Amino acid sequence: MQGSSSQKRKRLDLVPSTGSLTDPERVLYNVIRSKKDMGIWTRDMKRETNLPDNVVNKALKLLQAKKLIKEVVNIQNKGRKHYMAAEFEPSKEITGGDWYSEGNLDVDFINLVKDLCLKHIMRQKVATLDGILEWSKKSGVFAVEFTTQQIEEILRALVLDDEIVEVKSTGFGDFASVPVGRVCYRCTSKGGSKGEPKAGAMASIPCGVCPRISSCTPDGIISPRTCAYYQKWLDF
Amino acid sequence: MVTQYGIKFAVHLITNHFGNLVAKVCEDLLRRGPLTLDQLIGFTELTKEQVKNSLLVLVQHNCVQAFILEKEDVGDDREGSKVNTQYLALLDNILHRLRFPKFLEIVSQDLDEECVELLEGLLRYGRLTLKQMVDRASQRKGNTSMMHELQNPVAIDVVRESLHKLLMVRYVERCPAPSPVVSSPVEKDTKKRGAKSKVANQVPETIEQHVLEAIVPVEGIRFSLMSNTEVIKSDDSPMTSEENFGKTTVIPIQEDSTLFHANFEEFIRRCRHKVLIENVRTRLDDEAATILGAILEATRTAEKKVKMENSVPLTLDTIFTEVVKTETGRTMTIDRVRSSLVQLGCPQRMLDDSYSIDLKKIIELARNEEVESIVLKRYGRDAYRMFRLLSKADRLLETDKIAESTFVEKRDAPKTLYKLWKDEYLHMEKLVVTAARQSKFLLWKVNKPILWDHVLDEMYHAALNLSLRLAYEQEKDAELLNVPKDKIVGQLQKRYKRLRNVWLLLESSLMKLDDALMLFHDF
Ligand code: SF4
Repeated sequence: MQGSSSQKRKRLDLVPSTGSLTDPERVLYNVIRSKKDMGIWTRDMKRETNLPDNVVNKALKLLQAKKLIKEVVNIQNKGRKHYMAAEFEPSKEITGGDWYSEGNLDVDFINLVKDLCLKHIMRQKVATLDGILEWSKKSGVFAVEFTTQQIEEILRALVLDDEIVEVKSTGFGDFASVPVGRVCYRCTSKGGSKGEPKAGAMASIPCGVCPRISSCTPDGIISPRTCAYYQKWLDF
Repeated sequence: MVTQYGIKFAVHLITNHFGNLVAKVCEDLLRRGPLTLDQLIGFTELTKEQVKNSLLVLVQHNCVQAFILEKEDVGDDREGSKVNTQYLALLDNILHRLRFPKFLEIVSQDLDEECVELLEGLLRYGRLTLKQMVDRASQRKGNTSMMHELQNPVAIDVVRESLHKLLMVRYVERCPAPSPVVSSPVEKDTKKRGAKSKVANQVPETIEQHVLEAIVPVEGIRFSLMSNTEVIKSDDSPMTSEENFGKTTVIPIQEDSTLFHANFEEFIRRCRHKVLIENVRTRLDDEAATILGAILEATRTAEKKVKMENSVPLTLDTIFTEVVKTETGRTMTIDRVRSSLVQLGCPQRMLDDSYSIDLKKIIELARNEEVESIVLKRYGRDAYRMFRLLSKADRLLETDKIAESTFVEKRDAPKTLYKLWKDEYLHMEKLVVTAARQSKFLLWKVNKPILWDHVLDEMYHAALNLSLRLAYEQEKDAELLNVPKDKIVGQLQKRYKRLRNVWLLLESSLMKLDDALMLFHDF
């Protein structure tokens, strides 16, 4: 609601300034503006406006100079020049969402959050989504406040990393404080060292992880007799 | 499901154990399915004598089964048509040769030294009569001079006793008839096979299964050790007294020629149970493992096949009784047992208050783990996360969606997914949407049955390579093995040590890989 009223106000403000635009500039500006918080790619502008390349390029420069439009990074395709009317904030589809900063996935930040959440679960033995969310708000370890969805995303990634598992409370032992049947999270008990799942039979031998297995034959150029991976593996 | 490298590996094992000629015959049978003697001579281009001898070896070692297919529609000219014995290679039995040490280990855990020795003989010679087993036992004791009198009464009793024990726990069984008549597979089956014959190797499996099912001796005599004086024990035999009577009159005459061999099915069942229990132990806890172990032990003989999808249903009371019988379960309460059963995935009781555990699920999780660890090692952590997402979702997901849910850069995701697809770890579909603007999406999915076949084939390939490399290392240092022990010093000693390490590593890796082969093929 708020968004639309401020847009209205801006549009009123802008009327005089669009008056000073040349025809091609106005056409272009209207197209860009009609895309709202999605913005538009230069190639698409050219197609939609039917203006020649040099005209479009010149108009874009002037519109930018007049601060009517801005260039934005489109996460979907960073190589493409993408423009948006100045009054809009790029949508999630353009920025990539909460975990992005300046068009890049903020991997360091994500890993930090993951790590802190994991440590919290480890300490708690079992934890629920609500519990973790509350801890993230109250403990003061995070400078920002996370939404439920964000914490959910972090937990989901930790599950995919096989760092934690989603289980239903049995009400026994570690689950004693959680109502029976509630979904909670627990660290995986891994045989191997932390972070690395137990290597399977294939993962522990050269052929199991060999990129050339499909071209390796008993008597071929690539063969277990001549194989360099084996040479290295059996180098005692 | 017979994979290309499965056959290659099987042929390799046969070559190692019995030489090239036998392997040639075996390979043709594996590749072409059941053949007659004449056909085999034609395909192998060996002499009749060579083929016959090879077949004898293969039959003796339970790697080939002869059978006669009953023809239904030739009733009129039955006399005219000549009986055609066909030979069927038993791929599974060939591969089991790799596992003999494991089978012996199981017996040494469950039974005594005599039983281990007896089984060792059966594995080494394929199949033996009681008399041959006694001869062998006497030989081992150094009684060779007495061989033909054989009348070391102690030996025969000891052997009979051990054989009886092995039969009771089903580790040994009577061999099927040498060349039984088998009815043709049902019409419906034939059609299905015809239609699917392009799908790799559907045919041999179906025939193999059909023949194998048909030749198993009836339950009553399969595990019985009958002698002149003994009558079939009918306690676990479903036969009517009339049948009983009929059998007892025939058997005394055959007594001496009755052949016994290891019952691989039971060994594989034991291996599977072990894997199930250990998986539950790591995934859940010791209690759940104890309970599953007790259930499987109690229902062992009630399992109709190795690949049981669900455990045989038992009531909570029965389960509890079985659990407290075990050492680790002695102190458990019935509430604890119930809650573990819930953890094991049986939330509701069936109508008759019985519980049954989804074993297929446990096997599936174990397979996933093996495949995921390959993905992690071969393609890295991002790929691992994406693969696990798809594996869990079990449906098509779009590239960006995958990237988002796994915290992978959107521009990097397609590359990784493409690599996985190219190596046949993922299935891909293109989706073209023609709305305001035409856009193309790529959808990805883990197709488990197909992937598992693919991974299994890679595993056979890897097993073959391990075995070839082992042979190569031995051959390279052949002269080292002929040097007397006391001469191995200095530089030689270093080489000798290396060879031993190489040997140990390759052997143990092969055994571990074989566990994975069983997981994907036999369980
Ligand atoms: S033998 Fe060497 S080249 Fe061949 S599959 Fe194994 S590791 Fe790869």
